[in-house]
Amino acid sequence: MGLDERDITGQWDYRSLPPNVRVGENCWLERRDSFARFRSEQTPGLILGDRVRIYTWTTFNVEPAGYVEVGDDSLLVGAIFMCAERIKIGRNVTISYHVTIADSDFHPTDPELRIRDAIANSPHGDRSQRPAIISRPVTIDDDAWIGIGAIILKGVHIGRGARIQAGAVVAHDVQAGTTVAGNPAIPIEGRQLE
Amino acid sequence: MTASRLEHDWFSHPLPENVRLGERTWVYSSYAFRHYRSRRAIGLRVGSHTGIYQGTFFDLGPEAEVEIGNYCSLVGVIVATNGRVSIGDYSFIAHEVVIADTSWATPGPSAATAKPSSARASVANSLEIGRNVWIGTQATVVGGVRIGEGAIIGAGTLVTHDVPPFTICAGNPMRIVRTISPGKGASTR
Repeated sequence: MGLDERDITGQWDYRSLPPNVRVGENCWLERRDSFARFRSEQTPGLILGDRVRIYTWTTFNVEPAGYVEVGDDSLLVGAIFMCAERIKIGRNVTISYHVTIADSDFHPTDPELRIRDAIANSPHGDRSQRPAIISRPVTIDDDAWIGIGAIILKGVHIGRGARIQAGAVVAHDVQAGTTVAGNPAIPIEGRQLE
Repeated sequence: MTASRLEHDWFSHPLPENVRLGERTWVYSSYAFRHYRSRRAIGLRVGSHTGIYQGTFFDLGPEAEVEIGNYCSLVGVIVATNGRVSIGDYSFIAHEVVIADTSWATPGPSAATAKPSSARASVANSLEIGRNVWIGTQATVVGGVRIGEGAIIGAGTLVTHDVPPFTICAGNPMRIVRTISPGKGASTR
């Protein structure tokens, strides 16, 4: 067991990613393990634009039906993608440390279904018996900025140039050019760009 | 039954002697007990078919007693207590959740300068998470609170007071978002 420094310094061979991952020009992907939980079976399953920089704290947890797209010049410091269907990040988006972006809750809300889910999900359970989950795509438009520890929930559309402050829990759409904060996130300043 | 070593473990330490794991329960590593100092006869008891996954830690003081039921999932949770914490059957606790009793959660002006021994000894806490509870990612549960059966705690919620059964609670400050009607046969309550 030896640590290969190239695996954590962005010098690994990006061509070793699954064939359904498309990496643009001049990308920098710091840590190979960021993609360890990438299980998409879509074609493509992940598109990274040009000059995308992805730091060590980012992880792509993508389910077989999931698809993630990241636009040119975006910076992903610590984005935790939890993707069951579709997460689309625009161009020149900045995502800070410990930001969870989830297009599904991944578990049912009905108490009876949750017991079934718990049994199917147990260490020796049969995961094919898990109840169906609801997913709704997440879209983050160009030039948005997501602060430390924010959580972006299913179905959310974040408009162009919006700013999500640290720790915000975003359950509803954010208009272009506005700043939101808090849990639940509410607008604190700014006005629409368009 | 006590397994002193986990078969799949990469961490060289054995499990603490006062930990009990039920049948078909899985713990990612004895590293989960890196900060475990319970001196109780049983410091941690876990039921059957429960998964204790990567990133979960039992940061327990000498007086701590933690009980976890059957068919639970703890997906990277920090349990920090010197009191009693119980988690009911079928509960699902997501990543980066912290469950801490008040003596640890409110260390005073600075965690670094607090006097942990006196602060911890002064509070005898009991934190209770009911059966079939779902706690979303990055939520924090502090103090001697009770979370009722079937409740759902939204992502990032700060739980500082009791949660009624079969409700969805979210936010900081936390509020009841709505109540859940248990499906047919969901509960014998």
